[in-house]
Amino acid sequence: MMRKTILLSALLFIQCASEDEPMDVDNPVNTGSNIDTTSTPQEFERNGMLVFWVDNIIVPAYNQLDTSLFTLSEKAAAFTENPSSTTLISLRNQWLATYSHWQYVEMFDIGLAEEIYYKNRMNLFPANVTRIENNISGNSYNLDASSYFTSQGFSALDYLIFGAGENDDGIIALYTASDLNYGNYLVEVTDKMIDLTEQIKTQWEGDYRDTFVQSTDNTATSALNKMVNDFVFYYEKGYRANKIGIPAGIFSTSPLPDRIEAYHGEVYAKILALEASNAVYQFFNGIAYNDASTNGLSLKDYLDYIEADEDDKLSGRINAKFETAKNKINDLNANFKQQIQEDNNAMLLTYDAIQSNVVLLKVDMLQKLNVSVDYADADGD
Amino acid sequence: MKKKVKVLKDYFDQKRIHPAPLAIFRILFGCLMLVALIRFWANGWIFNIYIEPDFHFKYVGFEWVDDLGQFTYMLYALAIVACFGIILGYHYRLAMIAFFVLFTYTELIDKTTYLNHYYFTSCVAFILCFLPAGDYFSLDTRRKGLKITTIPAWMIDSLKLFLAIVYFYAGIAKINSDWLLQAQPLSLWLSSKYHLPFIGGLLQLKWVHYAASWSGMLYDVFIPFFLLYPKTRRIAFVFVVLFHVMTKIFFPSIGMFPYIMLFSATIFFSLEWHQSLIKKLKTQLQKITVFLQYFKDTNKFPLSPIAFSPKGYVLPLLLFFFTVQILFPFRYLAYPGELFWNEEGYRFSWRVMLMEKKGYTIFKVRDSINQKTFYVNNADFLTPFQERQMSFQPDFILEYAHYLADHFTQQGHQNVQIFADSFVALNGRPSQRFIDPTVDLATQKMSIKHKTWVLPFADEIQGL
Repeated sequence: MMRKTILLSALLFIQCASEDEPMDVDNPVNTGSNIDTTSTPQEFERNGMLVFWVDNIIVPAYNQLDTSLFTLSEKAAAFTENPSSTTLISLRNQWLATYSHWQYVEMFDIGLAEEIYYKNRMNLFPANVTRIENNISGNSYNLDASSYFTSQGFSALDYLIFGAGENDDGIIALYTASDLNYGNYLVEVTDKMIDLTEQIKTQWEGDYRDTFVQSTDNTATSALNKMVNDFVFYYEKGYRANKIGIPAGIFSTSPLPDRIEAYHGEVYAKILALEASNAVYQFFNGIAYNDASTNGLSLKDYLDYIEADEDDKLSGRINAKFETAKNKINDLNANFKQQIQEDNNAMLLTYDAIQSNVVLLKVDMLQKLNVSVDYADADGD
Repeated sequence: MKKKVKVLKDYFDQKRIHPAPLAIFRILFGCLMLVALIRFWANGWIFNIYIEPDFHFKYVGFEWVDDLGQFTYMLYALAIVACFGIILGYHYRLAMIAFFVLFTYTELIDKTTYLNHYYFTSCVAFILCFLPAGDYFSLDTRRKGLKITTIPAWMIDSLKLFLAIVYFYAGIAKINSDWLLQAQPLSLWLSSKYHLPFIGGLLQLKWVHYAASWSGMLYDVFIPFFLLYPKTRRIAFVFVVLFHVMTKIFFPSIGMFPYIMLFSATIFFSLEWHQSLIKKLKTQLQKITVFLQYFKDTNKFPLSPIAFSPKGYVLPLLLFFFTVQILFPFRYLAYPGELFWNEEGYRFSWRVMLMEKKGYTIFKVRDSINQKTFYVNNADFLTPFQERQMSFQPDFILEYAHYLADHFTQQGHQNVQIFADSFVALNGRPSQRFIDPTVDLATQKMSIKHKTWVLPFADEIQGL
């Protein structure tokens, strides 16, 4: 009896096999094309989506960040060698530009980036000022140890070039006094950021890209599922909580204005939050990093493919909420610290606007995509 | 009427059967449980599910059941030892009762991990505690110097009846509009298995989802009858194998469930099949040196054959057990509202794979004295698995809300109020607000009474 059964199962499989078209992973579709342009209904090209993500979003964003970091290191060197108001302003401008570029990279917490805690080393805030000062004043330290993650990256630079002295003259004085070591630390932090970014860029340029784009299975460990989870996680944590929720006091009994991004620069948190909201929007909609007119397969297309029969598309509702949230951020004071102290309610409303999309992304989208996150056995009940 | 009563009386009093099927069932059950327990341990789940969490979601009435810290491993170790006793039929009764108690205890520690097949296991183990499954083809026969030759037929039939109930109830639960008319949740689940070799493409087709839904329902409702009827038994078992193999391929995360159902179904096989299997097993065992002595000895000292008669309480007890089994799944009728939404009377009813439910639930803590509020980060208190399960089940949400209220009261907050910001999506519908955000959950009692603070389901699902 058993033998018959096995034979039967085999027959079933063979029959199914003849009706199936294997997905061509080696020859992905033209990444610029859109699913809607195909004449006959066909399987969504998940592989094409991953290819677009890597080639048109992730790698270009890393390249931009890398270039930007090199310029930053030049400006840091220029300021250290010749501390002046001019070199300081030039350094600050470049810091803001690079910090803005960073907003397009933070969500890609996958591969080596995940292994080396890249995002924590680049942008954990608030910076630990005491620790930074200790490092500078000659205590031994190790930037690779997790306890020093808050004394490096963009938030450390923020302190070093905005908050280290009483005012600009005070800061310049610190860097002029060569025995004080501020310049060396500034350069070291910048170099570290370059080093880490280069490592990850190198990984993407190597075999990892091909492994990534072919990992389209619906399993807990596939690149597709991890990337979707990373995106949702970034939206909820990196964007919603870190930039708005925590400083607005959502998770504490009172607002915490000292928890804003770029605290010492004060007036940059809004710009950075807007960049992040744009990064999220572009990723969801498959807009190329370098060229806003280039579109590719995206989560939006994937959802639309699944919801082909629906009139009120989930992707439309998600995009509407992206827009609302962006407008709310736009209405805020450039200085979040001031905004929180003077009218935290506007901050809370902004948080609500971002939050309402967490539900659509985390519940509705993940249910439609049926992205699997397996923790233990489940029988669907 | 009188005649029917007599038929029934004769059945319980006189119909007898050889115990071979019971012995085979015992061995299969023991082996499956052994594998299941080792697998559970090897996956690190004893730690993840029982030891790691700060607190456990409790079953009403079993709040006293708690994990034993590192000693939880001991529970599993003992249950594994009990499995050997069951398989070999060595001090079978003690082993079976020990297994039932240990297994059920671990299941009661945390309802996050509730699965229908764990409940199935506990029920089967309970029945087996009262059946003489260790008195034939076992080490106990030699220990006791006797072997049973016949047992009342209802003893084996009780296992068949239990399996039939499980299948049949699982089947009628599928007679609802989501399952049959929308092909949900199978539509969501099957189309997400695009990566399966050969069949991935087929699983994208709408008609395949409908075919799978309808055949799944028909299979569950009718398979027990086809297994009972000798003429259809063979083909029915082919379907059992196919069905469960397919479920394992489509849904790898259902774990041991397919194997348990598949091997349990052998209880329906004929007596001859069981006897010839035992014969084959004996021949194989005699080839293994350790067993050589055993078989030599039994030949030298023949076991005295006895016809087994159970103690007087066994039959009434099992009749009571089955009455409960038949009625309990219908308790949902006592609650208003949609069963899939409120989940009042959902568990312990053989409702398997009926829902794709996802939720997002966060909690606002309010100190009603100083009016300050803040949101809780669930990850501070729950494991990802607990958080996921909590997010869409009202009883979990309430229990967790009480836990939070206690926690923050201990931290020095006064008159703590807890409000839930909760959204749930069911079977592919858009998410909808789930819990009344104005209700202070800390003031709501935990009970099996209807939960009025769960907002009504915006849609309607017809069916049983």
